[in-house]
Amino acid sequence: MTQLSHAADRLMSGINKLMVLVGSLALVAASFILSYSVASRAFFGATTDWQDEAAVFCLVGATFLCGGFVQEIRGHVGISAVAGMLPKKVNQLRIILIDIISCAFCAFFAWKSWTLFHEAWVDGQVTSSSWAPPLWIPYIMMSIGMTLLAIQILLQAFGSPSNPGKGE
Amino acid sequence: MSITMLGLLFAAVTLLVMFSGMPISFALGTVAVVFMFFFMPYSSLDTVTQNVYEEMASITLLSIPLFIMKGAAIGRSRAGQDLYEALHVWLGKIPGGLGVANVLACALFAAMAGSSPATCSAIGSAGIPEMRKRGYSPGLAAGIIAAGGTLGILLPPSITMILYSVAAEQSLGRLFLAGIGPGLMLVAFFSMYTVYRFRKEYKSALESVNVGAPSHPILERHTYTMQQKMSSLPRVMPFLILLIGVMIALYGGYATPSETAGLGAILAFALIAGIYKMWRMKDLAPLLNATIKESTMLMFIIGMSLLFSNVMSHLHLSQSAAQAIVDLGFGRWGLLAAILILVIILGFFLPPVSIILMTAPIFLPPLRAAGFDLVWFGVVMTIVMETGLIHPPVGLNIFVIKNIAPDISLNEIIYGVFPFVVIMILSVVLLCFVPEIATGLSDLVMGPMQVH
Repeated sequence: MTQLSHAADRLMSGINKLMVLVGSLALVAASFILSYSVASRAFFGATTDWQDEAAVFCLVGATFLCGGFVQEIRGHVGISAVAGMLPKKVNQLRIILIDIISCAFCAFFAWKSWTLFHEAWVDGQVTSSSWAPPLWIPYIMMSIGMTLLAIQILLQAFGSPSNPGKGE
Repeated sequence: MSITMLGLLFAAVTLLVMFSGMPISFALGTVAVVFMFFFMPYSSLDTVTQNVYEEMASITLLSIPLFIMKGAAIGRSRAGQDLYEALHVWLGKIPGGLGVANVLACALFAAMAGSSPATCSAIGSAGIPEMRKRGYSPGLAAGIIAAGGTLGILLPPSITMILYSVAAEQSLGRLFLAGIGPGLMLVAFFSMYTVYRFRKEYKSALESVNVGAPSHPILERHTYTMQQKMSSLPRVMPFLILLIGVMIALYGGYATPSETAGLGAILAFALIAGIYKMWRMKDLAPLLNATIKESTMLMFIIGMSLLFSNVMSHLHLSQSAAQAIVDLGFGRWGLLAAILILVIILGFFLPPVSIILMTAPIFLPPLRAAGFDLVWFGVVMTIVMETGLIHPPVGLNIFVIKNIAPDISLNEIIYGVFPFVVIMILSVVLLCFVPEIATGLSDLVMGPMQVH
């Protein structure tokens, strides 16, 4: 069982690294798209209709896909002022409880993201702009990201206690 | 259930979940979903993700990761130290010039990087050891850097201002401009206080030397030749050009605020590649990693805060709370004071990001009704939230400084920072009497505000 969870941890960690790479590229891409938008308008007087939206897709993707990575290093901040005062046993219980509730929320969110994606895919929904790109693109990134996040929290809640994450 | 009961229940559950130590983003999301389940039609649960996406899919909000990336690029290079050293050489003659150089370096760096903790660590890691070497008391050195760092969320580009512009539906360009005047005012006040404290410490050192104590480093004078001054310039100029260039692009009408985020990030990358030879993957990876970590965390909080306030307004809680505030009959200034005190209290626990998004729907309607200029209020609220960055228990900047200079005790830091908190509160009072400090520049550049 521990071996299995170690393997799962390693796999997840690898996926997270990949997502950070994807996220970084998306951020840089968004920067280039927005800069291009300024340049094309200034030099060629071009109308800029798709740039903002393309950048939004990149940035939504970067945010959600990297949620799991940030959770892996316990980078989602919380108010820890009160927690420090609790006795050790209660505190352990608190940490597990928090992870379970967080995981439930993220799982719910992931589930609703997948249904949203499915709907957008089946109905062929597009955004309301003149460029009108399909909406399933940001939705699937949201779905994948929230699913990874939920799995990551699950691994931290029930996985090997030897790897509680750097942030704690 | 009456609206009051529902409101109290909502507040109680929110407080409980938040103080459990659950990550703020998940806590807000959980509370929102639970109340949707019990008090809203079931169909609302089906659209919860769509709701979050639609709120988040705004290029103004999503420019935040890019501003963070620009800040990280500059913050992780040697730019902070170079900037600081150049100012130090130029201000060497003034009594307390070193301290003033630190304040100015913080302000300039903040204007490029837009983040308070990043400013503290970039300028502080060079500035604090130098000030202490020259005999400044540890508390003063820490106070200067902690307070200087807070300028990061007042001077453009400021992440809190971006959020405020979305929450309050105010022009971001106008808000950025309105932050400049008060930012410069704070720079002036911080500098004056630094000189005053320097003189005091200088005098007491002089007195103890006069009665026979060994010499104190604060008494030494350092002068720099003109050549040294000139040779410090070239490394700073590119960053000043970046700063000015972005401003011209923005206010010359070439770029929207979010486009300047992308443009600024690309230019920052080009500059650190050109000047500090940082272009290899091993140089850029830590920078991108830090960007992802901070921006993802922030964007999650932002997305969930938006969902949270959405639920609050669907349940008519924001509207009722706003009405209740109006019904208290505090009068114009009483209302403002009450709201700012509440913001200070929230600042004890919450980062500025969540404070803005959670409270804007409650505070802004009464303020608008009372005839306050909401651009002006954005600036005032930002300064008040800045104090939250330098006082306990959250006081992010305090802990950044504790990291840079672990041998300064937390007490000394807090004691050194306190006068700066007082200066900031007094500045808010001054802004109430002379609102033109904030709105003067924005009205001048963009024309007077349209009254709705």
